[in-house]
Amino acid sequence: MLLAFAFGGVIPTAVDSRQMNPSEQEPPYTREIRSNAEDVALIRRMCDADETALGALYDRWMRSLYSLVFHLLKDADEAEDVVEETFWQAWRKAASYEPSRGAVSTWLLTIGRRRALDRLRAKDRRREDPMARDGRILAELPSPEVDPAEAAEGAERRTRVLAALRELPEEQREVLDLGYFQGLSQTEIAMATGQPLGTVKTRMRLAMQKLREPLSMYRESAQ
Amino acid sequence: MTNLSHEEAYSELAAVALDAAPSEVSAAVREHAVACPECGPELVAMEETVALLGQLAPQWAMNPGHGAGIRSRLLMRARGERESRSSAAPGPPDLARGVASLTGLGHKLTPGSQRAIEEEVKKVLPQQKRKPPFFRESGLMALAASIAFIAAAVQLVRVTSERNAMRAELAARANTPTRTDSVKPVMSEKEALIAAMAGPDVKIVPLTSKSATRMGRMFWNRSSNDWTMVVYTMRPPKPGMTYQVWLVTDSAKISAGTFMPDSTGHAFMQAKYALDRNALKAVAVTEEPAGGMPVPTGAILVSGSAGP
Repeated sequence: MLLAFAFGGVIPTAVDSRQMNPSEQEPPYTREIRSNAEDVALIRRMCDADETALGALYDRWMRSLYSLVFHLLKDADEAEDVVEETFWQAWRKAASYEPSRGAVSTWLLTIGRRRALDRLRAKDRRREDPMARDGRILAELPSPEVDPAEAAEGAERRTRVLAALRELPEEQREVLDLGYFQGLSQTEIAMATGQPLGTVKTRMRLAMQKLREPLSMYRESAQ
Repeated sequence: MTNLSHEEAYSELAAVALDAAPSEVSAAVREHAVACPECGPELVAMEETVALLGQLAPQWAMNPGHGAGIRSRLLMRARGERESRSSAAPGPPDLARGVASLTGLGHKLTPGSQRAIEEEVKKVLPQQKRKPPFFRESGLMALAASIAFIAAAVQLVRVTSERNAMRAELAARANTPTRTDSVKPVMSEKEALIAAMAGPDVKIVPLTSKSATRMGRMFWNRSSNDWTMVVYTMRPPKPGMTYQVWLVTDSAKISAGTFMPDSTGHAFMQAKYALDRNALKAVAVTEEPAGGMPVPTGAILVSGSAGP
């Protein structure tokens, strides 16, 4: 789907917070919608070969992307390479971005994570002990408190993702953790946890199905 | 595995969304999902859900200098690509080429081509002589016009050829490195280095080891934001490790880059990073895994206080 079609009147209008009455509570997800609308506008400018839009997108999402790929690769140089490759791919493939498939930030994170996993798998590098808790994100869920430094972007989303994850049984969080943050295949997860492959598949599917509902508003906000 | 039943594909959707399925299974599931009204939307929803997990990665800050470098490179590449795209569009027509093509001989006329034109002229002349008297006058006028046109074309081509030859020669001269050209970058580099390490606004931080042995200096040009570090007698780091330089402020330890000493223990490193002129408290060097770390993890081996 080309952007020309995808942009057809579906982009939410950015809300100017200066016009809001301070006593009014900002509607849920408005910040998310506004943020993504700005991202989509940048993608549209990138389609028109405006490289300043690429710079702006980089400024907005470089840190989140770097954090994710550094966590996977554990190597600053390689993580920086992946960040550069990801934004370059975003520039080259901007026209292939489909708002109906999610927010710009998730598109970027997906590209970056896949590139990081490709590097991991090409070198067959693995954490010595994937079950070690020090590298596990979901084993002990971080506090949902909002960091003021990132309050403007993604904090609300992070809080809600954490809340949704808290509702999952630990064994389901574990397979997500090993699959997403450690980059293990389902066979490797089965070996690491000592569970049958079928059980791993079932846990993955149940975890995803349970997360879908509480997080569905973010897919809708991206459209 | 190329043909999956609906049930098989459905059971693999979560693994595919997580990139945790074998590549051949992933390809087969995606092929099925394209046409399946149930699996297609389900896979999209799962992939979007999975991507939200990326928000939970612990936050790491990239080395600011590296981050700025990546940004600059991206913008330069993007600009270059845009410009090459626009320059690939057809340009204005070449007048010389158009005129030469009128002669039927193309625009790349050489002395051989000119002879061909002259032969064409010779062919025309006898034909004109065979014309009956009734046509002689008008024929002669046409012949004269033809000769004049061809002569003009030949002259134009000759001038064009000479111009092209001169341009080629100039281009060749421009591309030929002269002794002066080869010295220029070296001189510029040295001038830049002197500017970075000297001047009224350069702060010098002496660096010492834990045993207070002098190890080198950090030169901070607060006007140009250039950081130049020189160290000596550094032992090689352990295998798989590197040395990393940190700019220590009250609130952060900022990576200024990594370095490896040479065989004599000397090392030289430069970085560009804007820092408030009163913010620097110290400079420190730690040993870190190859590639460097976003925050220091090793013990401080070399350090220097920025002083007042």
